[in-house]
Parts: sequence; structure tokens; C-alpha cells
Amino acid sequence: MTKGMKKYFKKKIFWFIITFIAAVILNFILPRLMPGDPVNSIVGKNISPGATQEQVQEQIAYYKHQFGLDKDIFGQFWDFVKNAFNGTFGVSYSQYPRLVSDIIGSSIWWTVALQLPAIIVGWLLGNLLGAMAAYKRSVYDKVLMPVTLFFSAIPAFGAAVILLVLFAVTLGWAPVNGAFDPGMIPSFSWKFISSVIAHYQLPFWSIVLISIGGQAVGMRSMSIYELNADYVKYARFLGIKDKKIVRYVFRNAMLPQVTGLAMSIGSMVGGALVAETIFSYPGLGMSMYAAINSSDYPVISACTLIITIMVLIASFLLDIIYAFIDPRVKAAQFD
Amino acid sequence: MAKKMLEVHELTTKYITRQGEDVYSVDHVSLDIEEGKSLGIAGESGCGKSTLALSLMGYYFPPLHYTSGEIIIDGKNISGMDPDVVRKTVLGSEVAYIPQAAMNALNPTRKVGKFIEDVIEAHELPMDKKQIREMAEQRFAKLGLPVEALDKYSVELSGGMRQRVVIAISTILSPKVLIADEPSSALDVTSQKMVIKMMKDMLANGMVKSMIFITHELPLLYNVTDDIMVMYAGQIVERGTAHEMVFDPIHPYSRGLMRSILVPEEGTRDVKLTAIPGTPPNLKHPPAGCRFADRCRYATPACKVQQPPLFDIGGGRTYRCSFSVDQLKEVYAHEDE
Amino acid sequence: MKHTLRNVFHSPRFLVGFIIFMSILLTVLIYPWFVHRDPLQGLGKGFLEPGTYVSVYDTNNAGTYRVELPEANENRLESTIPVKDRQTMLDFLKAKGVDVSALDTSNEKFHELIEVWKENYDEADAKKNKYEGFATQAKRNELRRLNNRLSEDTSAAMSVTKGEGDSATTTAVAGSDYVKVDEVANSINLPLGTDNFGRDTLTELVKATGISLLVGLIAGSIATVLGLLVGLLAGYVGGLLDDILMFIANIFTVIPGFVLLILIYSALGAESRGIVTCAVIIGITSWVWTARSVRSQVISLRNRDHVNLSKLSGHSLFRIVTTDILPYIASYVVMAFILQVSSGILAEAQLSMLGLGPNPNELPTLGLMMNWAKLFGAYTSSNAWWAYFPVILMIALISFSLNLMNTGLDQVFNPTLRD
Repeated sequence: MTKGMKKYFKKKIFWFIITFIAAVILNFILPRLMPGDPVNSIVGKNISPGATQEQVQEQIAYYKHQFGLDKDIFGQFWDFVKNAFNGTFGVSYSQYPRLVSDIIGSSIWWTVALQLPAIIVGWLLGNLLGAMAAYKRSVYDKVLMPVTLFFSAIPAFGAAVILLVLFAVTLGWAPVNGAFDPGMIPSFSWKFISSVIAHYQLPFWSIVLISIGGQAVGMRSMSIYELNADYVKYARFLGIKDKKIVRYVFRNAMLPQVTGLAMSIGSMVGGALVAETIFSYPGLGMSMYAAINSSDYPVISACTLIITIMVLIASFLLDIIYAFIDPRVKAAQFD
Repeated sequence: MAKKMLEVHELTTKYITRQGEDVYSVDHVSLDIEEGKSLGIAGESGCGKSTLALSLMGYYFPPLHYTSGEIIIDGKNISGMDPDVVRKTVLGSEVAYIPQAAMNALNPTRKVGKFIEDVIEAHELPMDKKQIREMAEQRFAKLGLPVEALDKYSVELSGGMRQRVVIAISTILSPKVLIADEPSSALDVTSQKMVIKMMKDMLANGMVKSMIFITHELPLLYNVTDDIMVMYAGQIVERGTAHEMVFDPIHPYSRGLMRSILVPEEGTRDVKLTAIPGTPPNLKHPPAGCRFADRCRYATPACKVQQPPLFDIGGGRTYRCSFSVDQLKEVYAHEDE
Repeated sequence: MKHTLRNVFHSPRFLVGFIIFMSILLTVLIYPWFVHRDPLQGLGKGFLEPGTYVSVYDTNNAGTYRVELPEANENRLESTIPVKDRQTMLDFLKAKGVDVSALDTSNEKFHELIEVWKENYDEADAKKNKYEGFATQAKRNELRRLNNRLSEDTSAAMSVTKGEGDSATTTAVAGSDYVKVDEVANSINLPLGTDNFGRDTLTELVKATGISLLVGLIAGSIATVLGLLVGLLAGYVGGLLDDILMFIANIFTVIPGFVLLILIYSALGAESRGIVTCAVIIGITSWVWTARSVRSQVISLRNRDHVNLSKLSGHSLFRIVTTDILPYIASYVVMAFILQVSSGILAEAQLSMLGLGPNPNELPTLGLMMNWAKLFGAYTSSNAWWAYFPVILMIALISFSLNLMNTGLDQVFNPTLRD
């Protein structure tokens, strides 16, 4: 490892840690700015109608203690950090006394299994389309460009709804919601797996669609830029075949798209979470949706924290990978 | 008489602009170079010398288009050949090119050695990867370049090294004609000297059979090339030996060019020549008469109407002016007093 | 400037985008002049398919035309006052000693029966006299209820034969006739049906489009102004200020903006999320990209000759920025603004889909409409395409037009992409 390399990694890790801390603090502070006392609403829900004033006060004190709300703000923060690190994320307000980790423990895997492959496939397809658009410019600019622009203008949830209505409701090719048949118990049987695969299709392809648009547009501009580069002219004058040159160009245009992915992964995940709720896919998006509708702040903040951390890690890894695979960055960053 | 490596007859090429207008940037240019000789081409920027370099390759892509004329390389007429055949049998192997911005000429994500492989594979030579590697190593060693450079990306090489690597790659197939478009203008003085020396050595030991060297730095040409040709507005205005051209220019434009260079001033290179006021004409609408008439201090009304032909005064010397050599010499002598 | 504008409007892409956007904007502005309906007013129950609807109940205030639909009237009379009740009426009149030999319980005679009933029935009278068969309290109550129903319903049932002064014409319409829809009293045209609340979807959509555009414009303006200010300061002033601002920007870059919005919005609570609040929050969480790009452009401009000349001439910071720097980045800022508007509209919609939209009781937005469609099963159980498809189309059209304008501008200002 060279000195420049070390410096580059140090810088990247420094930023990773700083943003991580900022994310944790924001996740702690923002939900605590909310109006209204969550404890009052829980007590109001759970207490019997004939309870006396003392009993109500007792209950409030009890729940305050349970949620650690009787401590000062630093004590609460310490609890928050502790809970985040031991992975429990505290107690849910709406489903007391369930642990937050219990609620979102399974949904996170559905989200990872859905979004990670979908975003990668979307990235690959988007780059392919963008490259083709740049290469066949005359056809693309006149015919396909306006069509693509229109389709990429359809919002993520809109595409999800259209897919849902078309393929699930109207044609009945795919199930309408959920991740598997509601009558089934998760197991390693062929029947269960095929049900999961059937339920996977629509959410998967709608997220792929979401990811394609932005990547294709980016790849197109990048490819056009590369096609005009000096090395293309030089390679041509050395007699190198166009096919080979095109391969140079697309490789060179695609590498920076890794950074493009790192930068847009945050907004892609946002759209994907909304798509999840449309298909009632039991991922983080759905957990968050349920939590929002029941004002369950510990769950909301756990979801946002997990998403932030996943996005942070993804973009951190992409940055590192990019620096290794692209000699241009290697030269620029590691020296 | 020595063998002609390159003969060009009345070559005309044009750019087609986005508005669909034709711009003839190379207008009936004829030239020839003998084996082992080099020719310098000089002129201001925008006078068509870079376009001439591109046009001489015999391979055109938009917006540059071939119009008429012939390019004959070592007796083989490549004009009118199928572009794919030109690519395979001429480019890189018969006629090679060193681009103006050699700094960015290499694919940044391909190692130098791999790129050389691509070049050789494109010409379908009967060599395997090992042979290619050996050949590249020998060539690099012969040119005084470090063999390790073959395993590096272009971004890992210094500017001067990158330029010399580009020259080595361009000449890897020992082309008959090497066209170098300002190969040294972006370099520091030391690297410039190394590049020039390298090119002279290649010509001397036969790695390239002939050379065209395009630049606006005339002192450079004087030291490097045998002949010098001056271009203006897409046309040849004068040609002669390097010595003649520098010390005894005939055409008023050549004279202006030499004078502006002989008295070098900071900043003149990129801005404009101090000795010649004005700029080259817009070739979308070339002047009817002598193309230089608008900037020429000796121009008569007739000059602006009648375009002078290229006069051959023997000994390989040509010039394009309505005045006779004697008339011009007299004027110049008068002026120098 | 004039030249640039002409160039911009010569770009076909910009022009098409501009025309689409302006059409949407004009529709939003002009529509309320023609349709005065409150966008949140419920007209019917639940999803109604697109089409023209006729009020089934009353034909009051019908102007010069009256439509008589005999079968419908029969059905209506039949259903309001069944034969059993008519018999009760006859029985009562008989008991009171009224001559009812000309009356029976048929529909043809029903109007006459009602006339006679009205002349003779009086609650106090019935109580006082205790007619035979109607002496008990229960019986009398039944009569009273019957009378109440008659006085409520007959007006509607009877109006078909009621003329309006001398000029009134009464046209009998046979069951096989066609009637021009405009001439039917109290009809309503719902080109896009109604949503789950029974609101006119078209009116709601137009209003929601206006509000969403407003959200986008506010969010876009705030993001652009903030981004521009931060970018200019960080880029031009540099030094410690640059470090601090870029530190903040870096954090905002890595934390997904959408997650931040979810946190802030959920912390606010539904009641305090007004339209403007929502827009402002979207604006202040999305300035980072603008700031970063403006900064890098300002840094490249900072040491240009004309800026240095201005500095040497002792011009103020404000003057240098406004005359020597802003004009050079203006095209970029305009493009960034357009994108920010588009992403602001999208952000609002996505948040609303998660149930974090603006207060739903105040005004509709495109996102709220999508959320309602989802909550009330418009995609699945109700299959009410009119409740969500036009909304998706509208969002797509707005972003499409903005994207078109943006690529048009890009082509004008970045010529490498042009040829």
C-alpha cells in the first residue's frame, strides 16, 4: 500500500465516521422534537376507563421509566447509542413491550434481498441502454430520446402502481401483495420458494425501472464525452477497429458510473421504499409506513438509521472499489 | 533520384458544418517526400495544417470529408480505397500519426503494453502475445524507453514520457510516413529536446521512412526537417529547403511568419503574429483573389481579384504570389535598409 | 442576453417542454374560473366512474324544461309510500267521514289521495277526536310519521306535475325517449369520476397540481437560493468558511435526503405540516448539490483575469459576485433550479405516499391523492383507475416538461452534447 493510498483511505474512513456520527445524532434529536407526548397516548390507549388520576400518573411514570424518558437528554442519548449498538433499538411505542429489533429484524432482510439485486440489475441495464443511446445517436436522439425522457419522468411509485395494476390486478400474472402467500409458513420447501419468487417479480422490476432511468442518462452523457476524447481519434488512426474502440469508450464511461451509483443510491433507496409500500412488501419501507401511521418513533428512527447506515456502507464500498478499478482515480487520489 | 515515400496530388478535403455548409480546409494541396527526408509544415493556427495532417491519413470520419485528389504512399494509391482496407493495411503500418494533444492520446484505462497488442492485432499480423511483447520490449529498449512503461497506465507516466511512449506506439510498425502534429508544443524544453532527438534518430535509423512535422515554432523546423512548406488558408503558399525558407523567404506571408518568429516575444505564440496584422480568412467564404491579399502590405487591387497560381522556380522551390521573385526581393531589400 | 434567450427558444426540446409546462400552469390558473366547485367537497359516496351523473332524487329548479320519467316516478312513489300505507290513509279518511269512493291505492289516484289527505289530516284534530281505529297513541303516531314522510317526499314526487307560473311547460317523456344530458336538471359531469371521498377527481387534480407546483417552486427556490449562497460564499471567500460549509455539505451528501425528510416530517406531526412548511423543509434539505457545483464553478472563475481586474479596481465583494461571477454561472443555476423544482414535487409525492404528506384536511396535493388512492384500494379492490392514473400522468408530465426544458438548456449551454 502506497502512502497516497493510505491517505486516501484515511480520508474516506474519516468521512465515513463523521457522517455516521452525524446520522446517529440526527436520528436521536429529530424524533424528540415532535409535538405531543408519546407516553400520554400509550397510557390513554391502555388504561381502563375508570382509572383514577393517581393511577394514570402512576402509569405515565411507569412508561416514562420503561422508555427511559425520565432521564436527562444525555442519559437518553446514551441509552439510544447503547440500544443502537446492541441492536435492540429500544422498545416500540405502538407495540409495547416488543423490541424495535424484533419488529424490523425480519423486514431488513426482505429489503436487502429485494433492493440490492434490483439496484445492481438496474445499474447494469441503465448503463447498457445509455451506452447504446450514445453510440447510435442519430436514431436515439430523434426517436427514443423523447420517449425515454417521458418514461424516466414517471415517478418510482407511479411505475410501481402501473406494474401492479397491469400485471397483478388486470392480467393476474403475479400476486398483488406481500412477499409470499399469506397462508404459508416460511420453510425451505419448493412451494414456499416458488411463492416467494412469484411475489418478488413486480417489486423487483419496478425498482429496476426506477434505477435504469438516471443511470442511462448519466451513462449517455459520459459516453458522448468519452467518444469525443483524444484517445479515440488516436486509436482510430492507429488502425484499431471501431468495435474495440467502442469497448474502450464504454469501459471508461462506465467506471465513473460506479461513483454515479454511490451518489444516487440514497435517492434510489428512497424510491424503492415507497415502491415496497405499494406492493405491501414486508421490508423496511413497509415497517416504516406502519410506524409512521402509528407514530411509533423508535421504529421510525431505527428504520431511518439502518437505511442511512446501509447507504453509507454501500457508497463507502463503491468509492473504495472505484478507486481500485479505475487507474485514473488511482493516479489522482493515491499520489 | 531517391524513392518517393509520399506523393500527394491536388488533395482537397472539406468539413461539413452542422449548418450543412462546406468548408474547404485543404485546397488542392500537392506535395512529395523522398525516402529518409522530412518536411516541416508551418502556418498560423487555423490555416489548415492540422486538417492537412488528418487528410493525409487517407481515412476520414465526420465532419471531415474527402473531396478529390490522390495520396500515393510508396507507389500505392490509397485514395479511393475501401475505408476498411485503408484502416487495416495503411493506418499505423504505412502512415502513422502523432496527435497534437499526445498527453491525452492514450486510453487511460489500458496498460501501454496491452494497447500495443491491440494495435498489432488490428492489423492481423501473424504474431502471438509473447512475440508482440518481445517486439515491444525491443523497440522500447532501442528508443531508450524503460521497458516497465509497458506495464503502466498512461496516467502513471510523466508528460514527457507519455509523449515519447505515444511516438513509440505510433511507429511500432515502422511506417513509411510519420505525420506528427505539434508533437512537442505542450512539453517543457528538456522533454521537447528528447522528443525531437528521438524523432530524428528514428528517421536516421530507418524506423520511419519519411516524416512530416507540423508546428508553428519555426526554429524547431529549421533544426529538424530538410524542407519547409508554409500553408495559408488551406493552400500551400511556399516551399523550399529549411535554410532557404528561414533565411530567404519569397512569399510575403512566409517572410512575415519568419520575422515574427525571429524576434520572439512572450505570448506571441498563442495570440497572433506581431508582424502580420489581422487573422486568416474564414474559409466558409474564401476571398476571390489572393487569400492573403487582405493582410498583405504589398497587395495591389489586382491581387484581390486574381488568385495567383503556385509558381515552380526549380530546385523544389515553389511560391504563390502575383509578383515575381525579383520584384519581391527588391521590395524586401528596400524595406530592410 | 437577448441572443441567449433566442437560442434557448430555438431549441426544440426546450420549446416543447416549455409549452407543456405552461399549458399545465395555465390550466391550473384558468380552471377555477369555469368550475367553482370546492376541490375537497364530497359529491357522492366513494369511487364513481367517469361520466355524467343525474341526480336521482329531485328535479327542482329545472328551469323551462321538466322531465317526467313515468316509470321512475312510479317506482319512487311505490317505494316512498307503499300500498299498505296508502290503505292506512284511506282508512283514516273513511274513519273521519271523508268521501273516498273516488280514491284507491293505485299510483294514478295517489296524487288525488294526497291532496285529500292534506286537506283533512291534522295532528291535533286526530288527537282530539280519536277516530275509530285510530284511537290509540301508537296508531296516531303512525299517522303522524306517515304525514311527515308525505310532506317530505311528496314535494319531490309531486314536482313533476307542478308548473312554474304561466310560462311553465310540462313535457311528458316516455320511457323510450332520449333526453339531452344538459337539459336534465341537476346533472353533473365528472370526466374523471370521483375519488374515495366522492370528490370530483378532475377538480381535485387541478387544485392538487397547482399546490404541488407551488410546493416544487417554493422548495426549488429555497434550495437554489441556499445552494447558490453557500456555493458562492464557500467558493469565493474560501478558507475556513469554505471548510465549514463543505463539512456540512459533505454530511448532507452522504445521509440520504429522503431519510432526513422522513425524520423531520414525522417529528413535525401531521397537524403542523402545512403546505408551505412541507415545501420549505424539502427546500432546506436539498441545497447541497447546487452548493457543491456552484462552489466548484466559482473556484474556477475566482482567478480569471476579469475577476482579478475587478478586485484590483477595488470593487466590493457584492459587485464582483453579481457582475463578474453570477453571469457566468447563471445558466447552470437556472438548470439546477428546474431540476430542484422537479425533485421537490417528487419528494412531496413520495412523502405523502408514506403517510407523511401535508395536512390532508387543508388542500389536496398530487402525493396526497396518490396516498388516498392507495389507502382506499383504488389500485386493487376498487379498480378505480381514474383516481390514480391521471395523477401519475400529471406528475410524469410535469417532470417530463421540466426535464425537456433542462436538456434543451443543456444543449444550448454545453455544446459537446450538441452535435
